[in-house]
Amino acid sequence: MSRSTDPISHNPTLRLDVHDVSVIYNNGHVALRDATFHLQSGTICALVGVNGSGKSTLFKAIMGFVTPTHGKVRIAGETVQAVQKKNWVAYVPQSEEVDWSFPVSVWDVVLMGRYGYMNFLRIPSAADKQIAAESLKRVGMYDYRQRQIGELSGGQKKRVFLARALAQHGRIILLDEPFTGVDAKTEEAIITLLRELRQEGHIVLVSTHNLGSVPEFCDQVVLINRTVLAYGPTREVFTEKNLSHAFGGVLRHFKIDHTDQPGKAKHEMVMISDDERPLFLDTDEENEKKG
Amino acid sequence: MNPLLAPFQYEFMIQALLVGALVGAVCAILSCFLVLKGWSLMGDAVSHAVLPGIVLAYLIGLPLAVGAFFSGLLCATATGFIKDHSRVKEDTAMGIVFTGLFAFGLVLFTKIETDVHLNHILFGSLLGISTEDMIQTAIVAGITLVVVLLWRKDLLLFCFDPGHARSIGLNTKRLYYILLSLLAATVVASLQAVGIILVIAMLITPGCTAYLLTDRFHHMLGIATGSAVLSCLSGVYISYFLNGSTAGCIVLFQSMLFVLAMIFAPKHGLLVQHFLKAEKSAS
Repeated sequence: MSRSTDPISHNPTLRLDVHDVSVIYNNGHVALRDATFHLQSGTICALVGVNGSGKSTLFKAIMGFVTPTHGKVRIAGETVQAVQKKNWVAYVPQSEEVDWSFPVSVWDVVLMGRYGYMNFLRIPSAADKQIAAESLKRVGMYDYRQRQIGELSGGQKKRVFLARALAQHGRIILLDEPFTGVDAKTEEAIITLLRELRQEGHIVLVSTHNLGSVPEFCDQVVLINRTVLAYGPTREVFTEKNLSHAFGGVLRHFKIDHTDQPGKAKHEMVMISDDERPLFLDTDEENEKKG
Repeated sequence: MNPLLAPFQYEFMIQALLVGALVGAVCAILSCFLVLKGWSLMGDAVSHAVLPGIVLAYLIGLPLAVGAFFSGLLCATATGFIKDHSRVKEDTAMGIVFTGLFAFGLVLFTKIETDVHLNHILFGSLLGISTEDMIQTAIVAGITLVVVLLWRKDLLLFCFDPGHARSIGLNTKRLYYILLSLLAATVVASLQAVGIILVIAMLITPGCTAYLLTDRFHHMLGIATGSAVLSCLSGVYISYFLNGSTAGCIVLFQSMLFVLAMIFAPKHGLLVQHFLKAEKSAS
């Protein structure tokens, strides 16, 4: 088995194609209908939609946990099942999904990222240990490797699971709500790391409520509500009109009129917020800014 | 002769101590996985569900262990089927299936003459175990131990994060059935010796006790095994002097260890938690 530390360079044509995917669950619930979008190597894409809009179903389809009733998911032209064997898709779970009192250490968790490369007994080789150590150092958690995972702060917990994804050498990295329960400093650190991953050619797909930070680090956006409403470059897709469409009446909308300000003839801003960080859209200049 | 050594002059006591310790060890190791996976009830269900299998196996002339094993598996698969094909939740489905199977076993039992005593199946007969049963128990226990120790890392990942396990291409469905089969095999191995009621206790308590005492899985395996073996040895030994139920003494000793762990555990114990709280409110 290849133990290359740079899997990307050997396969420059990484693509994620979600084509016409519909998922209907056993009970008849249509979670997703005719969802289509394509992502290319070297991108950070935000997956934005209300709760129940099918974000997690889409993640499950990309990871191969649900089989689309209709349509297909292809990664670099291959099926999800074929890609699983290559450890290409790494998942960073939501904090609520993890049992933090589980008797495993930070080091154990990161080594789990290497299981796919180990033999049947899962005995780590020197290379596995080195990669795990490097991954932990990269997220600044190496000094905490002996800690039980419950003994960490919210941000540290996130970084440990990011380190596991790094150790896995995943080429497509899925993050589920990476910023909930995380302090501003860790958020910055995570964003910096994601940018580096984009630089290295990974596809990073982030499911988030945190609208305000999307324009800051995501170059692509997929808006979903039971189907893909719009996808493409952030500047084009992440607009007031599209967001209103995606969120219906859920978001809070404030129009702030700056017309009184000296030196500005007419200047209007829109603030859009669910419960996390608000998004400010400067409607005159089409220039998105973080709030 | 020292009266404290009196139990050791009987061969049946030595046998009971050995078999008890072996069964205790296997159950303890499995209990660690069950506790972490949240499958404690599954042990309860499978243990009860083996009854009809035992009677039917007797009827066809198969080894009782084979009937018990498949009956146990049937319970788990039927539970899964009901959960997937109705709006009934898993724990409820399990309750329906295992009580149904157990009742079926009881009815069969009263209708069919067997040389197996219901009392022995329910409460075990550690002191009266036949050599044949002992060998069967040892073989099943041995296989179970080897399989669980070989697969322990995958099983642990399956318990901790089945999503990640799947995303790196591990066959989680297979792991599910491996854990289930191990559980059924353990129940079968233990049944003859200690009985259904005791199996349930041995599949839950040692893992729980260890879980309170440590934050590392390999330590948890060791502590659980140690506490189970100690309980079995002490239970058998004490029951000789009390002239009381062997199985009862074993479970009681185990429960006592759990209570001690709950109070005195170095990190998660009640005392430490109490002092930590006091310290926090003082500062």
